[in-house]
Amino acid sequence: MLVLRRRAGESFLIGAEIEIEVLEVCGTRVKLGIVAPDSVVIQRKETQITRDENITAARSVRQQAISSLLTKVALQPAETLVKNLTDNTISKVKSA
Amino acid sequence: MEYPRDAVFEFPDGVPGFENERAFVFLKRPDAHPLMFMQSLSVPDICFILLPVLAVDPHYKLRFTEEDLAALRFPAGAQPQIGKDVLCAVLVCASGDQRPDPTVNLRAPIVVNLEERIGIQAIQTQSEYSHRHPLVAQDRQEEPAPC
Repeated sequence: MLVLRRRAGESFLIGAEIEIEVLEVCGTRVKLGIVAPDSVVIQRKETQITRDENITAARSVRQQAISSLLTKVALQPAETLVKNLTDNTISKVKSA
Repeated sequence: MEYPRDAVFEFPDGVPGFENERAFVFLKRPDAHPLMFMQSLSVPDICFILLPVLAVDPHYKLRFTEEDLAALRFPAGAQPQIGKDVLCAVLVCASGDQRPDPTVNLRAPIVVNLEERIGIQAIQTQSEYSHRHPLVAQDRQEEPAPC
């Protein structure tokens, strides 16, 4: 990892088109300003982690593993119930 | 649409990965307690399994950024309470190829303003909580918590 020391008001470049400026340093928090082309996606790392987890979570309802999940949360095994619930919801939405 | 109005929640920004899903219906079944289901109204295939956060961790501390409060239409400086002002639930990942045991994302709970019927995924920036918190059976011994 490249490590740079910068003060507030100083900036650095990534490639030719991305500029990052340290706007303000206050205690443990740093305020950064970023100039980049529209094609560059900028997001907080925790947002990216959340996105990945959400995509995995959205698959859960269709996995056979759902019965194992229900066992883990100490419910009555209710795979059919959950399947019906989901199917009913889907058909309701479709018919709406 | 046949849903009771109070079952539908607006998510103005969607959730990360599903930015176009702006409305979800929350479903509960007494026999599936404490599981909840968060179903997209626009895409039938998009449905999440949730658990009330307090059912996973009765001592869970939810922190709001100013942006979170504004998005949920709370005044700046408000401290909404779980179960009273907001519903707070976490997304469940069932076990799969990459995940031997189910996990919940304590780092990014779904938070809904019950009064305004508006929701966000409130990513906890300064948090000791894991985005892959293992869901183990002994956690379920406790009394069901309000959500």
